[in-house]
Amino acid sequence: MSLSARMIIVLTFVGLLSGSFLATVNLLTKERIELNRQREIEEAILQVVPGTHSSQKLYEEKDLTVYIGKDKKGILVGFAIQASGIGFQGKITLLLGTNPSIKKINSLKIIDQKETPGLGAKINDRKSFLKFWDNKDCSNLLTLHKPAVKTQEELGHSEINTITGATISSEAVLNLVNSSLNRLRQLEKEGRLSSEEQDVN
Amino acid sequence: MSTRSIEQEFTKGLWDDNPVFRQLLGLCPTLAVTGWVINGLAMGLATSFVLIFSSLVVSSIKKFIPNQVRIASYIVIIATFVTIADRFMAAFFPLISKSLGPYVPLIVVNCIILGRQEAFSSKNSVGRSFIDALGMSSGFVLALLILSSIREVLGVGTFLGLQVMGTWFKPWIIMILPPGAFLTLGILLGIALHIERKTKARK
Amino acid sequence: MELVAIFVSAILINNFVLYYFLGICPFLGVSKKISSAVSMGLAVTFVMTITAVVSWAINHWILIPYKLDYLQIVSFILVIASLVQLVEMFIRKMSPPLYQALGIYLPLITTNCSIMFLALLAALRNYSLAEAVVFGVGSGLGFTLAIILMAGIREQLDLADVPEPLKGAGIALIVAGIMALAFMGFIGMIK
Repeated sequence: MSLSARMIIVLTFVGLLSGSFLATVNLLTKERIELNRQREIEEAILQVVPGTHSSQKLYEEKDLTVYIGKDKKGILVGFAIQASGIGFQGKITLLLGTNPSIKKINSLKIIDQKETPGLGAKINDRKSFLKFWDNKDCSNLLTLHKPAVKTQEELGHSEINTITGATISSEAVLNLVNSSLNRLRQLEKEGRLSSEEQDVN
Repeated sequence: MSTRSIEQEFTKGLWDDNPVFRQLLGLCPTLAVTGWVINGLAMGLATSFVLIFSSLVVSSIKKFIPNQVRIASYIVIIATFVTIADRFMAAFFPLISKSLGPYVPLIVVNCIILGRQEAFSSKNSVGRSFIDALGMSSGFVLALLILSSIREVLGVGTFLGLQVMGTWFKPWIIMILPPGAFLTLGILLGIALHIERKTKARK
Repeated sequence: MELVAIFVSAILINNFVLYYFLGICPFLGVSKKISSAVSMGLAVTFVMTITAVVSWAINHWILIPYKLDYLQIVSFILVIASLVQLVEMFIRKMSPPLYQALGIYLPLITTNCSIMFLALLAALRNYSLAEAVVFGVGSGLGFTLAIILMAGIREQLDLADVPEPLKGAGIALIVAGIMALAFMGFIGMIK
């Protein structure tokens, strides 16, 4: 058998073997991976929209996805917006939970961030940042309160706490939230948030 | 053919021929994922899996592969095991898979693995190749553990997520950031060479 | 505007060598002289750009439509290996002295993590063809920048009194650490 023929046969054989192995592994793990991904989203939605029994993806565009949470009876419990935007060091992805009227923020969850550890990364810290978002009235535009405070009472009605030494990261989150809320309200006005036509997640 | 004993075949990977500290291979993942001990450990184990199985396969079929296509074949074999490791991690350890991110697929270009196939598995028995792979893997995991321990403890004061430094310690955040990685590895390399010289001088 | 952001961040802010830790082996190996550093950097940039295009094509025309994305790793690395072979043959014909200068480092471009990382990241972030190309060129130039800076410093270091154990890789890594520190100053450039 000539060398070229042998080369081709060996390569083809190795290639086919590899391909079939991988196809098998893919079959074995595909569902699990998809399940993990879904569970991650569902758990996150449950966190920011308490009382959710089932959730559904309503709308998706670049860097913004809207989910709704429904209770056992299928009544709307709230909206969850997943939004991404540029922070100080990279992309910040957060999940915002609001009540059905989009007038109150249930809570905020940071899904992904690459901010400076110890400073900007504190946007993921309950004590310094996240707890101030709980049950926040968002019927008016939210603003940043500087300097940083320690208790909820020191903040104004529509004010959010800053992180000392990480103004840019804090502002990035604030702007992302404000623009997401605006987009959500806009979508609602356009009637794009009706849940009847969509498939269940 | 190798004239080392089985024991030496294994231990050479730990110190004399340590892939990271002596051969200076696989530095990309070594620097990238050693900010946290758990990441270093996971990466080390994943790389070990790929190295060991690739070596087993290559040494088993080495007689059938024509010389000209050996690199291409090794690459396909390695890439296959890397994909398997990547998928398994994503399925069963989603959190770690997420924090390691695209560095797991990068195992395919980890010079240690291809280097081992070329230098050893293609020229030795299956048994020896297995021991060699085991040794190299252990050496690699060891290197990752040392580096990540230093970085995590000094960088955030924890080890495997548990607080080990008291509150008197102000963490050197820079340790988990890129500069810290470079500096730590550079200094460790210096220390390793220094020890090597001292022991050589004594002999 | 997006394209410019991708380009600038690839070179300075998320520099492939100093931020993502990619291409360290050639970074340490070829950075001893500025001239070889430049050649290596350009060769890598060239391969990266073409890889960006080809991997995008394979991903969007074959892998995704046929749900074969689990073959991403295998196909990408094969593409890179073949491209490097082609570039190698091309350089050997076009400029033998350059071929001699780059020596073993040319085939080593295949295992240069930065190229594989580039292909994977462009696929992960779902870049369009234009974005992928810009990303490829930018990251390649970022690598070239880092390696040239390093070569410049090392040429000077050769004349300095470095402790024995640190000579070579040790001091190079420490210098890289300081460079990484400096490059951190670019963070926040893109708002």
